[in-house]
Amino acid sequence: MITLAQLALNALSLGAAYALVALGFVLILNATGAVNFAQGDLVMAGGYLTAWFVVLLPLPGLVLLPLAMVATALLGLAALALAYFPLMRRPPSTVFVSTIAIGLILQNGAVRLFGPEPRVTPPVLGGGEVHWAGLTLSRQSISLIVVAAVLILGQRWLLARTRLGRQMRATAEDRTMAAALGIPVRAMIALTFALAAALAGAGGMLLGNQFFVTPTEGSALILKAYVAVVIGGWGSLEGAVAGALLVAAFETIVAALVSYTAAIALLYGVLVAILLLRPEGLFGEAAGRRA
Amino acid sequence: MRTRVSLLLALLCFVAPRFTAAQDVRIPVLVPLTGFLALEGTSQKNGAVLALEHPPEGVTPHWEVEDTQTAPELAVNALEKALEQPAVAVVASMLGSQILAMLPVGAEHKVPLITISGTAQVTEQGNAYVFRFFPSDAVVKVAQARYVVEELKKKRPAIIYQTTVYGQGGRTVLDAVFKKLNVVPVFEEGVDITVNDMLPVLTRALAAQPDVLVLQLHASSTALLIRQAAGMDPHLPIVAGSAIHQPSTAALLEPEELDGVCAESASSPISGGSPEVDKFVADYRAEFNTEPDAYALAQYDGTEMVLNAVKAGATAAEAVRDALAAQKYQGLAMTYYSDGHGNMAHSAIILCYDGKTRVPKVVQRYDNIDPQM
Repeated sequence: MITLAQLALNALSLGAAYALVALGFVLILNATGAVNFAQGDLVMAGGYLTAWFVVLLPLPGLVLLPLAMVATALLGLAALALAYFPLMRRPPSTVFVSTIAIGLILQNGAVRLFGPEPRVTPPVLGGGEVHWAGLTLSRQSISLIVVAAVLILGQRWLLARTRLGRQMRATAEDRTMAAALGIPVRAMIALTFALAAALAGAGGMLLGNQFFVTPTEGSALILKAYVAVVIGGWGSLEGAVAGALLVAAFETIVAALVSYTAAIALLYGVLVAILLLRPEGLFGEAAGRRA
Repeated sequence: MRTRVSLLLALLCFVAPRFTAAQDVRIPVLVPLTGFLALEGTSQKNGAVLALEHPPEGVTPHWEVEDTQTAPELAVNALEKALEQPAVAVVASMLGSQILAMLPVGAEHKVPLITISGTAQVTEQGNAYVFRFFPSDAVVKVAQARYVVEELKKKRPAIIYQTTVYGQGGRTVLDAVFKKLNVVPVFEEGVDITVNDMLPVLTRALAAQPDVLVLQLHASSTALLIRQAAGMDPHLPIVAGSAIHQPSTAALLEPEELDGVCAESASSPISGGSPEVDKFVADYRAEFNTEPDAYALAQYDGTEMVLNAVKAGATAAEAVRDALAAQKYQGLAMTYYSDGHGNMAHSAIILCYDGKTRVPKVVQRYDNIDPQM
C-alpha cells in the first residue's frame, strides 16, 4: 500500500512536469495550427540555461525559475521568428519541418555551448527528503507539483479571465476574424509562443533536478507530450494535463505492476483505442488538426 | 631573378630533408560529437587529439576532426572524404552501427581503423583493418560477473539493463557468464532510455529478493537508478556498467549516494595509478578543461600505439596495420595486443566509491581475460 502511494506520488510529480511540456505544445498548436516539434528541445534548453545560471548567479532555485522562464521565452520568440513567421502562409507540414530544424539547432547548440555532459538543475526550494507516514517525499517533488499547479492555474486564469487571454484565444480560434476585430494577431501569436516556451523552461528546470538534463532529451519529451495531447484531446488544455498525468501513471504505477516494456506497450494500446473509439480524445477537440 | 631562384632552391634543400625526417603522417579523427553519443564521442576525440598533440619525437601527425553524428551513412561519407588523401590510420567512430558501416571502406582503402567501440560484431567481420582499443562486453562483463560472485559472494543478482543494443548485448553476455559461474539471476528487466522514474523497476527487482543489483545502463539512467536506490530499504550493493566511472556521470550524484557502488571499466584515469597516468590526467584537464574517462584514455593509448609504430618505421597504412596486428604495446591503461581479430584490450578493472568523494578506487584488476571462460 505504501509502495503504491509512493508510486502515485511519483506519478503526480512526473505528470506535473510533463503537463507543462504538453500545455506549451497545445498553446502553440492552437495559436498557429502547427505542431511545434522543438517544444521538447525548449524544455532541454530551459534545463541547461538554469544549470548555467546557477553557476553564474548562485541564487535559490525559486529565484532562478523566472529567469529560466524569461530566457526560454526569448528563445521561443527567436524560434517563432525563424521557423514560423516566414512560413505562416505555407501548409502546416512546412512549419513542423522547420520546427524540427529548430530543435536540432537547439540540441547541437547545447552541446557546443555547455558540452555533452548531463547536468543537474538546482532544486526549487532546497533538496532532501521528508518522511511521512512511511512515504519518502522529495522536497523537489513537492515543489514540482506546487509550481506546476500554480503555473497551470495561472495560465488558465490568463486565458479565461483577462482581456489579453481572450484576445489570444480569439486569435487561436479564427485569425482572420481576430484581425478584423483589431486584435494584433502577430503579437498574440508571439505572446503565445513566449508563454509556451516559458512553460517549457519551467518544465526543464523542474525536471532537470530530479531526472537530469541531457542535450538529446527533447525528442523523448516531445513524443510524450504528443501522446498526452492525443489522449487528452487535440487542442484541449485540460486534456493535455490529463494526458500528461496518464502518461506518467503508465510510466510509474503500471510499470511497477507489469514492466516498463509492457507498460509502454499498454500505453500505446490505450492511445490506439482512443484514436479508434474516441478520436477527439478524452476532453474533445477544441481546434486544429493532427499534423 | 636568378639569385632569387637559387635562394629558393637552397631553402628547399634545407627544409625538405627535415620535412621527411619528421615523418609527416595524416590521421583523420571521425567521431560522433553531436547526438546521443556526444559525451562518449567527445571523450574519444579528446583522447585522440591529446595523443596527436604530443607525438613521439620525430613524428609529425596531421589531423582533422569530423563529427559523424549518429547516422551510419554520415560516418561512411566522412571516411570516404577523409581517404581522398593518404592516411596511415583513421580514428573511427565508437558507435557500433557507424564503425560496422565504415569497416568495408577501411578495408577497401587498406587503411587501419582505430576505434574504442564495445560492439562485439566489430571484430567478428573478418576485417583485417580494424583495431579495437576498448575491451568489448565479452571482456568487461566477465570482470563484472566474476566480481559479483567471487569477491562479493553474491548468488542472487538482479540485472537491470537498457533496452538499447548496448544494454541488451551486455545483458546477454552477463547471463552467459553468470551461468558459467553457476549463478542464476533472480530478476532481469529492461528499461527504456527515456524512462525517468526508476522506482517501478526497483520495486519489482526488490520483490525478487536479490542480494545485489547488476546494472547495464547508459549514463543518465545509471545515475537515476543509483540515486533512487540509495534511499531504498534494503540498501543493496550495486555493481554497475562502465557508465558510472565517467566523472561527468558521478558528478550528477552526491558522494553519499555513491556509497557502496562499484562498476566495471577499462580504466579510471582520475583514480591515478602511475605518474604517467597522472600526467595524462593533468594534460587532459589543461587542454580540455574537463575530467578524462576510460574512453579518452583508451583512444589516447590506441592513437599513441599508431604514432609509435610510425616512429618505428611504419610510415604507410599497410605497415601500420602490420605493426598493430603483430606487436604488443604498453599503454597507460593496459598492455594492448591483437588476438588475431583486432581486439587489442583484454583487461578490465572494478572500481568502487567510498561515499566520501566522487573519485573511485580501483579494487580489482582482471588481466588477460578469456572471453570464453
